[in-house]
Amino acid sequence: MAVGRRDDGTGPDVLRRAGEASVLILISLASGPKHGYALIQDIKDLVGVELGPGTLYGALDRLERLGLIEPMPADDRRHPYRITAPGAAALRVHLDSVERVSAAGRLRLRLGGI
Amino acid sequence: MDDSRTARLVLAVLRCYPARWRRRHGEEAAELAALLIKDGTPAGSIACSYLAGAARAWLTPGHGRRPGAVACVLLAGVCLMGVSAGLLTSTVPARAASTSQARPRPHCQPGSPRPAAGMIPAARLPQAIIEVTGHGRSC
Repeated sequence: MAVGRRDDGTGPDVLRRAGEASVLILISLASGPKHGYALIQDIKDLVGVELGPGTLYGALDRLERLGLIEPMPADDRRHPYRITAPGAAALRVHLDSVERVSAAGRLRLRLGGI
Repeated sequence: MDDSRTARLVLAVLRCYPARWRRRHGEEAAELAALLIKDGTPAGSIACSYLAGAARAWLTPGHGRRPGAVACVLLAGVCLMGVSAGLLTSTVPARAASTSQARPRPHCQPGSPRPAAGMIPAARLPQAIIEVTGHGRSC
């Protein structure tokens, strides 16, 4: 099963190798723009994962370079980020891919009687 | 650790980032650290996270990576490996450190106690003769 590339024409899963932090940030930004502290808090509330600030900025830079998020005008010293249209599409592709892997895994477990 | 010391620690770690990164995120990163510390996150873990982030930022194209810096890191790595290899070879016996496997001598082969043709059993010879006819190492 090819996880990294979809065959239905929606493009490759660019988030496959981007790391968990990048995916969590995109999921958090999917509900609206946020700055660093708000992102950390939201992800902590959402999935119980506390991102380190170094990890956060590394992932933000990577996502911005990929064009999946963009910075908004600075609010005081904080720079909010928002998800871009390609970012939303990439997140959708990635989540679909994860869903397919999850379904296949559950099926195998059922077939194996585990 | 009091507030001023934790602030100093975080600021010191933030100085490890490339200048371009600091211009972009520096103030926000310091403020974020202060908020996280206020929330109860240990300053040490914040500093560690920023330190790892700084290392990644230096190695990420477009931030602060300079060919000279990368060359220095590679050179340091190579030197470290060389020193480690040197230490290893000086502490293990020469035969274990040898990379070229010596051709097995007939009388050294495990499971063949019979001496090779033309060789005198070691028990019958004085030590000096054994050193001349053998390879000089213990089997």
